[in-house]
Amino acid sequence: MKAFLKKFALFVERHPTLYKGFLIVENLIKKPVFNCQSCGQCVLSHNAFTCAMRCPKQLRNGPCGGTRPDGTCEVYPERPCIWHLIYERSVKLGREEKLLKYHVPVDRRLEKKSAILNMWAGRIEGMSMSRKLKEGDDKPKSHAPAER
Amino acid sequence: METRSNLERLLSDGRFVVSSELGPPQGADKAPILKKCENFRGCVDAVNVTDNQSAIVRMSSLMVSAFLVQEGLEPIMQLTCRDRNRLAQQAEVLSAYAAGIKNLLCLTGDHQKSGNQPDAKGVFDLDSTQLVHTVSEMNEGFFMNGEPIKPPPRMFVGAAANPFAEPFQMRIWNLRKKINAGARFIQTQPVFDMPLFEKWMRAVRDEGMDQDCAILAGVMPVRSVKGLLHMRDNVPGMRIAPEYIKRMESAADPKEEGIAICTEIMKMLKEMPGVKGIHIMPVMWESITRTLVEEAGLLPRPAVAMGVAA
Repeated sequence: MKAFLKKFALFVERHPTLYKGFLIVENLIKKPVFNCQSCGQCVLSHNAFTCAMRCPKQLRNGPCGGTRPDGTCEVYPERPCIWHLIYERSVKLGREEKLLKYHVPVDRRLEKKSAILNMWAGRIEGMSMSRKLKEGDDKPKSHAPAER
Repeated sequence: METRSNLERLLSDGRFVVSSELGPPQGADKAPILKKCENFRGCVDAVNVTDNQSAIVRMSSLMVSAFLVQEGLEPIMQLTCRDRNRLAQQAEVLSAYAAGIKNLLCLTGDHQKSGNQPDAKGVFDLDSTQLVHTVSEMNEGFFMNGEPIKPPPRMFVGAAANPFAEPFQMRIWNLRKKINAGARFIQTQPVFDMPLFEKWMRAVRDEGMDQDCAILAGVMPVRSVKGLLHMRDNVPGMRIAPEYIKRMESAADPKEEGIAICTEIMKMLKEMPGVKGIHIMPVMWESITRTLVEEAGLLPRPAVAMGVAA
Protein backbone atom coordinates (compact mmCIF):
# COMPACT_ATOMS: atom_id res chain seq x y z
CA MET A 1 0.00 0.00 0.00
CA LYS A 2 2.76 2.38 1.07
CA ALA A 3 4.74 1.73 -2.08
CA PHE A 4 1.65 2.19 -4.23
CA LEU A 5 0.78 5.56 -2.59
CA LYS A 6 4.33 6.74 -3.07
CA LYS A 7 4.21 5.78 -6.74
CA PHE A 8 0.84 7.52 -7.06
CA ALA A 9 2.13 10.72 -5.39
CA LEU A 10 5.18 10.86 -7.61
CA PHE A 11 2.99 10.25 -10.66
CA VAL A 12 0.68 13.13 -9.75
CA GLU A 13 3.67 15.38 -9.13
CA ARG A 14 4.97 14.71 -12.62
CA HIS A 15 1.73 16.08 -14.08
CA PRO A 16 1.20 19.73 -13.16
CA THR A 17 -2.45 19.88 -14.22
CA LEU A 18 -3.28 16.76 -12.23
CA TYR A 19 -1.38 18.17 -9.25
CA LYS A 20 -3.31 21.39 -9.44
CA GLY A 21 -6.58 19.48 -9.52
CA PHE A 22 -5.56 17.33 -6.57
CA LEU A 23 -4.55 20.40 -4.59
CA ILE A 24 -7.84 22.16 -5.33
CA VAL A 25 -9.85 19.20 -4.00
CA GLU A 26 -7.57 18.88 -0.96
CA ASN A 27 -7.87 22.57 -0.16
CA LEU A 28 -11.62 22.50 -0.70
CA ILE A 29 -11.88 20.20 2.30
CA LYS A 30 -9.07 21.21 4.62
CA LYS A 31 -9.36 24.99 4.24
CA PRO A 32 -12.95 25.31 5.48
CA VAL A 33 -12.75 22.43 7.95
CA PHE A 34 -9.37 23.09 9.59
CA ASN A 35 -8.66 26.65 8.49
CA CYS A 36 -5.53 25.16 6.92
CA GLN A 37 -2.61 27.53 6.39
CA SER A 38 -0.95 25.35 3.72
CA CYS A 39 2.35 24.63 5.41
CA GLY A 40 2.43 21.40 3.40
CA GLN A 41 3.51 19.34 6.41
CA CYS A 42 0.44 18.65 8.42
CA VAL A 43 0.64 18.04 12.17
CA LEU A 44 -3.12 18.04 12.79
CA SER A 45 -3.06 14.53 14.20
CA HIS A 46 -0.80 15.69 17.03
CA ASN A 47 -2.75 18.84 17.77
CA ALA A 48 -6.26 17.49 18.31
CA PHE A 49 -7.03 18.31 14.66
CA THR A 50 -6.52 22.02 15.25
CA CYS A 51 -4.09 23.83 12.95
CA ALA A 52 -1.23 25.34 14.96
CA MET A 53 -0.12 27.44 12.02
CA ARG A 54 -3.02 29.77 12.72
CA CYS A 55 -0.93 31.15 15.58
CA PRO A 56 0.31 34.63 14.53
CA LYS A 57 3.82 33.49 15.47
CA GLN A 58 3.28 30.12 13.74
CA LEU A 59 4.40 28.27 16.85
CA ARG A 60 4.36 24.53 16.30
CA ASN A 61 5.74 23.41 19.65
CA GLY A 62 3.41 25.09 22.12
CA PRO A 63 2.07 28.47 23.16
CA CYS A 64 4.08 31.64 23.63
CA GLY A 65 4.01 33.32 27.02
CA GLY A 66 1.26 35.74 26.13
CA THR A 67 -1.96 33.76 26.34
CA ARG A 68 -4.52 35.94 28.13
CA PRO A 69 -6.34 34.68 31.23
CA ASP A 70 -9.54 34.23 29.21
CA GLY A 71 -7.67 32.08 26.68
CA THR A 72 -7.41 34.67 23.92
CA CYS A 73 -4.40 35.55 21.79
CA GLU A 74 -1.97 38.26 22.92
CA VAL A 75 -1.65 39.64 19.40
CA TYR A 76 -5.31 39.54 18.41
CA PRO A 77 -7.42 39.73 21.59
CA GLU A 78 -10.56 38.96 19.58
CA ARG A 79 -9.21 35.53 18.58
CA PRO A 80 -8.69 32.50 20.78
CA CYS A 81 -5.10 31.50 21.51
CA ILE A 82 -4.83 28.57 19.18
CA TRP A 83 -2.70 26.65 21.67
CA HIS A 84 -5.30 27.17 24.34
CA LEU A 85 -7.81 25.63 21.96
CA ILE A 86 -5.44 22.78 21.09
CA TYR A 87 -4.94 22.06 24.78
CA GLU A 88 -8.65 22.03 25.56
CA ARG A 89 -9.52 19.82 22.61
CA SER A 90 -6.62 17.45 23.34
CA VAL A 91 -7.92 16.97 26.87
CA LYS A 92 -11.44 16.42 25.60
CA LEU A 93 -10.28 13.84 23.06
CA GLY A 94 -7.81 12.18 25.42
CA ARG A 95 -4.90 13.10 23.17
CA GLU A 96 -2.79 15.06 25.69
CA GLU A 97 0.16 12.74 25.32
CA LYS A 98 0.59 13.80 21.72
CA LEU A 99 1.23 17.39 22.75
CA LEU A 100 4.66 16.31 23.94
CA LYS A 101 5.76 15.60 20.37
CA TYR A 102 8.74 17.68 19.22
CA HIS A 103 7.92 19.22 15.87
CA VAL A 104 10.83 19.84 13.53
CA PRO A 105 11.18 23.24 11.83
CA VAL A 106 8.93 23.80 8.83
CA ASP A 107 10.49 22.89 5.49
CA ARG A 108 9.70 26.08 3.62
CA ARG A 109 10.02 24.32 0.26
CA LEU A 110 6.86 22.37 1.00
CA GLU A 111 4.68 25.37 1.73
CA LYS A 112 1.63 25.74 -0.51
CA LYS A 113 2.08 22.14 -1.67
CA SER A 114 -0.19 19.19 -1.05
CA ALA A 115 0.41 17.81 2.45
CA ILE A 116 -1.25 14.53 1.49
CA LEU A 117 1.03 13.97 -1.50
CA ASN A 118 4.04 15.06 0.57
CA MET A 119 3.04 12.44 3.11
CA TRP A 120 2.55 9.70 0.57
CA ALA A 121 5.80 10.59 -1.13
CA GLY A 122 7.51 10.10 2.26
CA ARG A 123 8.79 13.65 2.51
CA ILE A 124 7.10 14.35 5.81
CA GLU A 125 6.16 12.31 8.81
CA GLY A 126 2.74 10.83 8.28
CA MET A 127 -0.43 11.34 10.23
CA SER A 128 -0.78 9.14 13.26
CA MET A 129 -4.30 8.75 14.55
CA SER A 130 -3.18 6.92 17.70
CA ARG A 131 -3.67 8.71 21.01
CA LYS A 132 -0.32 7.45 22.14
CA LEU A 133 2.93 9.17 21.38
CA LYS A 134 5.41 7.14 19.37
CA GLU A 135 8.50 6.23 21.35
CA GLY A 136 11.20 8.89 21.12
CA ASP A 137 8.86 11.41 19.52
CA ASP A 138 9.18 13.73 22.50
CA LYS A 139 12.90 14.18 21.90
CA PRO A 140 14.35 16.02 18.92
CA LYS A 141 16.73 14.06 16.75
CA SER A 142 20.38 14.91 16.51
CA HIS A 143 21.50 16.97 13.53
CA ALA A 144 24.48 14.71 13.11
CA PRO A 145 24.40 12.95 9.75
CA ALA A 146 23.28 9.32 10.00
CA GLU A 147 26.13 6.82 9.98
CA ARG A 148 26.40 4.99 6.72
CA MET B 1 28.59 19.38 28.04
CA GLU B 2 30.72 21.87 29.98
CA THR B 3 30.65 25.32 28.54
CA ARG B 4 32.96 28.09 29.65
CA SER B 5 30.15 30.18 30.97
CA ASN B 6 30.65 31.68 34.39
CA LEU B 7 26.92 31.40 34.97
CA GLU B 8 27.02 27.68 34.36
CA ARG B 9 30.02 27.26 36.63
CA LEU B 10 28.26 29.06 39.49
CA LEU B 11 25.12 26.98 39.01
CA SER B 12 27.02 23.72 38.93
CA ASP B 13 28.86 24.83 42.08
CA GLY B 14 25.43 25.09 43.68
CA ARG B 15 25.59 28.87 44.12
CA PHE B 16 22.37 30.86 44.11
CA VAL B 17 22.76 33.13 41.10
CA VAL B 18 21.46 36.61 40.33
CA SER B 19 20.99 37.95 36.83
CA SER B 20 19.66 41.25 35.64
CA GLU B 21 18.71 42.83 32.38
CA LEU B 22 19.99 45.62 30.17
CA GLY B 23 17.97 47.12 27.35
CA PRO B 24 20.18 48.37 24.51
CA PRO B 25 19.79 52.06 23.61
CA GLN B 26 17.68 53.35 20.74
CA GLY B 27 20.55 55.55 19.54
CA ALA B 28 23.85 55.00 17.79
CA ASP B 29 26.06 55.79 20.79
CA LYS B 30 27.86 53.33 23.03
CA ALA B 31 28.15 55.65 26.03
CA PRO B 32 24.73 54.90 27.61
CA ILE B 33 25.59 51.19 27.67
CA LEU B 34 28.83 51.79 29.51
CA LYS B 35 26.94 53.94 31.99
CA LYS B 36 24.33 51.24 32.54
CA CYS B 37 27.06 48.63 33.03
CA GLU B 38 28.11 50.34 36.25
CA ASN B 39 24.71 49.49 37.76
CA PHE B 40 25.51 45.80 37.47
CA ARG B 41 29.18 45.58 38.32
CA GLY B 42 29.74 43.39 41.34
CA CYS B 43 26.08 42.92 42.18
CA VAL B 44 24.90 40.39 39.59
CA ASP B 45 26.46 37.29 38.04
CA ALA B 46 25.13 37.79 34.53
CA VAL B 47 23.24 40.39 32.54
CA ASN B 48 20.58 39.65 29.94
CA VAL B 49 20.82 41.78 26.83
CA THR B 50 17.43 42.10 25.21
CA ASP B 51 16.86 41.65 21.49
CA ASN B 52 14.64 44.46 20.15
CA GLN B 53 12.38 43.99 23.14
CA SER B 54 8.69 44.67 22.68
CA ALA B 55 9.46 44.83 18.95
CA ILE B 56 11.08 48.26 19.17
CA VAL B 57 14.30 48.79 17.21
CA ARG B 58 17.42 49.12 19.32
CA MET B 59 21.11 48.38 19.07
CA SER B 60 21.54 44.67 18.39
CA SER B 61 21.82 42.27 21.30
CA LEU B 62 24.92 40.70 19.76
CA MET B 63 26.87 43.95 19.66
CA VAL B 64 25.79 45.13 23.09
CA SER B 65 26.61 41.72 24.57
CA ALA B 66 30.07 42.03 23.02
CA PHE B 67 30.47 45.46 24.67
CA LEU B 68 29.56 43.85 28.00
CA VAL B 69 32.27 41.23 27.51
CA GLN B 70 34.76 44.05 26.93
CA GLU B 71 33.54 45.63 30.14
CA GLY B 72 34.18 42.43 32.06
CA LEU B 73 30.53 41.60 32.62
CA GLU B 74 28.97 38.27 31.74
CA PRO B 75 26.19 38.72 29.17
CA ILE B 76 23.25 36.43 28.49
CA MET B 77 22.45 37.27 24.92
CA GLN B 78 18.79 37.06 24.02
CA LEU B 79 18.01 35.74 20.56
CA THR B 80 14.50 35.94 19.19
CA CYS B 81 12.79 34.23 16.28
CA ARG B 82 10.90 37.33 15.17
CA ASP B 83 13.65 39.12 13.29
CA ARG B 84 15.79 36.38 11.77
CA ASN B 85 15.48 33.23 9.76
CA ARG B 86 17.44 30.11 10.62
CA LEU B 87 20.48 31.16 8.59
CA ALA B 88 20.80 34.46 10.44
CA GLN B 89 20.20 32.79 13.79
CA GLN B 90 22.99 30.28 13.28
CA ALA B 91 25.27 33.10 12.11
CA GLU B 92 24.48 35.05 15.29
CA VAL B 93 25.41 32.07 17.45
CA LEU B 94 28.79 31.71 15.73
CA SER B 95 29.49 35.44 15.95
CA ALA B 96 28.40 35.64 19.55
CA TYR B 97 30.64 32.83 20.68
CA ALA B 98 33.58 34.31 18.81
CA ALA B 99 32.95 37.58 20.65
CA GLY B 100 33.22 35.82 23.99
CA ILE B 101 29.49 35.48 24.69
CA LYS B 102 28.77 32.17 26.37
CA ASN B 103 25.15 32.32 27.44
CA LEU B 104 22.24 32.41 25.07
CA LEU B 105 18.56 32.79 25.87
CA CYS B 106 16.33 31.53 23.07
CA LEU B 107 13.01 33.34 22.81
CA THR B 108 10.14 33.53 20.37
CA GLY B 109 10.00 37.30 20.68
CA ASP B 110 7.11 39.72 21.00
CA HIS B 111 4.95 39.97 17.92
CA GLN B 112 5.83 42.95 15.70
CA LYS B 113 2.27 44.19 16.10
CA SER B 114 2.98 45.07 19.74
CA GLY B 115 5.88 47.33 18.77
CA ASN B 116 6.13 50.73 17.14
CA GLN B 117 6.67 49.39 13.61
CA PRO B 118 3.70 47.05 13.29
CA ASP B 119 3.96 47.05 9.50
CA ALA B 120 7.09 44.87 9.68
CA LYS B 121 7.24 41.27 8.57
CA GLY B 122 7.60 38.82 11.44
CA VAL B 123 9.93 36.04 10.41
CA PHE B 124 9.23 33.24 12.94
CA ASP B 125 11.10 30.75 10.79
CA LEU B 126 11.87 28.62 13.85
CA ASP B 127 10.07 28.64 17.17
CA SER B 128 11.88 28.98 20.48
CA THR B 129 11.94 25.22 21.15
CA GLN B 130 13.43 24.56 17.73
CA LEU B 131 15.95 27.35 18.30
CA VAL B 132 17.02 25.78 21.60
CA HIS B 133 17.56 22.50 19.78
CA THR B 134 19.44 24.20 16.96
CA VAL B 135 21.88 25.86 19.37
CA SER B 136 22.42 22.68 21.37
CA GLU B 137 23.17 20.83 18.16
CA MET B 138 25.59 23.59 17.17
CA ASN B 139 27.27 22.98 20.53
CA GLU B 140 27.60 19.35 19.47
CA GLY B 141 29.29 20.51 16.30
CA PHE B 142 26.52 20.43 13.69
CA PHE B 143 24.68 23.03 11.68
CA MET B 144 20.99 22.42 11.09
CA ASN B 145 21.74 20.65 7.83
CA GLY B 146 24.09 18.23 9.56
CA GLU B 147 27.30 19.76 8.23
CA PRO B 148 30.12 20.00 10.77
CA ILE B 149 31.08 23.23 12.55
CA LYS B 150 34.81 23.62 13.11
CA PRO B 151 35.28 24.65 15.82
CA PRO B 152 31.81 24.53 17.36
CA PRO B 153 30.53 27.07 19.88
CA ARG B 154 29.98 26.07 23.50
CA MET B 155 26.93 28.04 24.47
CA PHE B 156 25.10 27.71 27.77
CA VAL B 157 21.58 27.52 26.36
CA GLY B 158 18.51 28.82 28.11
CA ALA B 159 14.87 29.44 27.41
CA ALA B 160 11.97 31.27 28.98
CA ALA B 161 8.90 29.99 30.76
CA ASN B 162 5.74 31.72 31.84
CA PRO B 163 4.26 30.08 34.92
CA PHE B 164 1.35 32.50 34.98
CA ALA B 165 -0.31 32.18 31.59
CA GLU B 166 -3.09 29.77 30.71
CA PRO B 167 -3.34 26.81 30.27
CA PHE B 168 -1.33 25.82 33.32
CA GLN B 169 -0.72 22.17 32.39
CA MET B 170 0.38 23.10 28.89
CA ARG B 171 3.07 25.35 30.43
CA ILE B 172 4.51 22.36 32.26
CA TRP B 173 4.59 20.25 29.10
CA ASN B 174 6.10 23.12 27.20
CA LEU B 175 8.89 23.37 29.73
CA ARG B 176 9.49 19.64 29.37
CA LYS B 177 9.77 20.07 25.62
CA LYS B 178 12.27 22.90 25.96
CA ILE B 179 14.38 20.83 28.36
CA ASN B 180 14.23 17.86 25.98
CA ALA B 181 15.38 20.21 23.23
CA GLY B 182 18.44 21.12 25.30
CA ALA B 183 17.57 24.08 27.54
CA ARG B 184 19.93 24.12 30.51
CA PHE B 185 18.56 27.14 32.32
CA ILE B 186 15.13 28.75 32.41
CA GLN B 187 14.20 32.33 33.20
CA THR B 188 10.59 32.98 34.15
CA GLN B 189 8.27 35.92 33.77
CA PRO B 190 8.28 38.23 36.80
CA VAL B 191 6.59 36.80 39.87
CA PHE B 192 3.78 38.91 41.26
CA ASP B 193 1.58 36.01 42.31
CA MET B 194 3.34 33.83 44.86
CA PRO B 195 0.68 31.10 45.28
CA LEU B 196 0.52 30.50 41.54
CA PHE B 197 4.30 30.44 41.24
CA GLU B 198 4.46 27.98 44.14
CA LYS B 199 1.95 25.75 42.39
CA TRP B 200 3.98 25.87 39.18
CA MET B 201 7.22 25.19 41.03
CA ARG B 202 5.62 22.21 42.77
CA ALA B 203 4.57 20.79 39.40
CA VAL B 204 8.09 21.41 38.06
CA ARG B 205 9.60 19.57 41.03
CA ASP B 206 7.11 16.71 40.75
CA GLU B 207 8.32 16.15 37.21
CA GLY B 208 11.93 16.42 38.35
CA MET B 209 12.50 19.27 35.96
CA ASP B 210 14.29 21.40 38.56
CA GLN B 211 17.03 18.76 38.37
CA ASP B 212 17.19 18.85 34.57
CA CYS B 213 17.68 22.59 34.30
CA ALA B 214 18.31 25.62 36.51
CA ILE B 215 15.19 27.66 37.19
CA LEU B 216 15.85 31.38 37.62
CA ALA B 217 12.72 33.08 38.87
CA GLY B 218 11.96 36.51 37.46
CA VAL B 219 11.23 39.59 39.57
CA MET B 220 10.49 43.15 38.57
CA PRO B 221 10.72 46.29 40.68
CA VAL B 222 7.93 48.79 40.05
CA ARG B 223 8.05 52.50 40.78
CA SER B 224 4.37 53.35 40.80
CA VAL B 225 0.94 51.81 40.96
CA LYS B 226 0.46 53.07 37.42
CA GLY B 227 3.31 50.90 36.21
CA LEU B 228 1.84 47.89 37.97
CA LEU B 229 -1.62 48.48 36.52
CA HIS B 230 -0.14 49.00 33.08
CA MET B 231 1.49 45.59 33.31
CA ARG B 232 -1.67 43.95 34.54
CA ASP B 233 -3.76 45.41 31.73
CA ASN B 234 -1.36 45.62 28.81
CA VAL B 235 1.21 42.88 29.21
CA PRO B 236 -0.48 39.61 28.29
CA GLY B 237 0.44 36.63 30.38
CA MET B 238 1.19 38.68 33.51
CA ARG B 239 -0.56 37.89 36.76
CA ILE B 240 -0.48 40.41 39.57
CA ALA B 241 -1.94 39.63 42.97
CA PRO B 242 -4.39 42.36 44.10
CA GLU B 243 -2.53 42.58 47.38
CA TYR B 244 0.45 44.23 45.67
CA ILE B 245 -1.73 46.73 43.85
CA LYS B 246 -3.38 47.67 47.14
CA ARG B 247 -0.01 48.09 48.82
CA MET B 248 1.30 50.28 46.03
CA GLU B 249 -1.87 52.39 46.08
CA SER B 250 -1.73 53.11 49.79
CA ALA B 251 2.03 53.62 49.99
CA ALA B 252 3.30 57.06 50.99
CA ASP B 253 6.42 56.52 48.92
CA PRO B 254 5.55 54.19 46.02
CA LYS B 255 9.20 53.83 45.03
CA GLU B 256 10.17 52.57 48.49
CA GLU B 257 7.15 50.28 48.53
CA GLY B 258 8.07 48.93 45.10
CA ILE B 259 11.54 48.08 46.36
CA ALA B 260 10.08 46.54 49.52
CA ILE B 261 7.70 44.34 47.53
CA CYS B 262 10.45 43.26 45.17
CA THR B 263 12.92 42.33 47.90
CA GLU B 264 10.18 40.53 49.78
CA ILE B 265 9.45 38.40 46.71
CA MET B 266 13.18 37.82 46.18
CA LYS B 267 13.59 36.58 49.74
CA MET B 268 10.66 34.16 49.36
CA LEU B 269 12.03 32.87 46.06
CA LYS B 270 15.45 32.33 47.59
CA GLU B 271 13.94 29.96 50.13
CA MET B 272 11.81 28.08 47.63
CA PRO B 273 13.05 24.55 46.84
CA GLY B 274 14.11 24.11 43.24
CA VAL B 275 14.72 27.79 42.52
CA LYS B 276 18.39 28.16 41.57
CA GLY B 277 18.54 31.89 41.11
CA ILE B 278 16.79 35.17 40.53
CA HIS B 279 16.46 37.17 37.37
CA ILE B 280 15.78 40.87 37.99
CA MET B 281 14.03 42.78 35.21
CA PRO B 282 14.45 46.43 36.12
CA VAL B 283 12.88 47.83 32.96
CA MET B 284 14.31 51.36 32.56
CA TRP B 285 15.32 51.33 36.24
CA GLU B 286 18.68 49.56 36.13
CA SER B 287 20.11 51.78 38.85
CA ILE B 288 17.98 50.00 41.44
CA THR B 289 19.58 46.60 40.89
CA ARG B 290 22.30 46.96 43.53
CA THR B 291 19.83 48.08 46.19
CA LEU B 292 17.55 45.13 45.48
CA VAL B 293 20.33 42.57 45.58
CA GLU B 294 21.71 44.06 48.78
CA GLU B 295 18.37 44.26 50.57
CA ALA B 296 17.53 40.70 49.59
CA GLY B 297 20.76 39.62 51.31
CA LEU B 298 22.40 38.38 48.14
CA LEU B 299 25.58 40.44 48.37
CA PRO B 300 28.47 39.92 47.99
CA ARG B 301 28.39 38.03 44.73
CA PRO B 302 30.95 35.29 44.15
CA ALA B 303 34.09 36.45 42.42
CA VAL B 304 33.86 36.44 38.64
CA ALA B 305 36.36 34.29 36.84
CA MET B 306 35.80 35.56 33.34
CA GLY B 307 37.09 33.03 30.88
CA VAL B 308 38.84 35.03 28.20
CA ALA B 309 37.62 34.15 24.73
CA ALA B 310 40.01 31.78 23.03
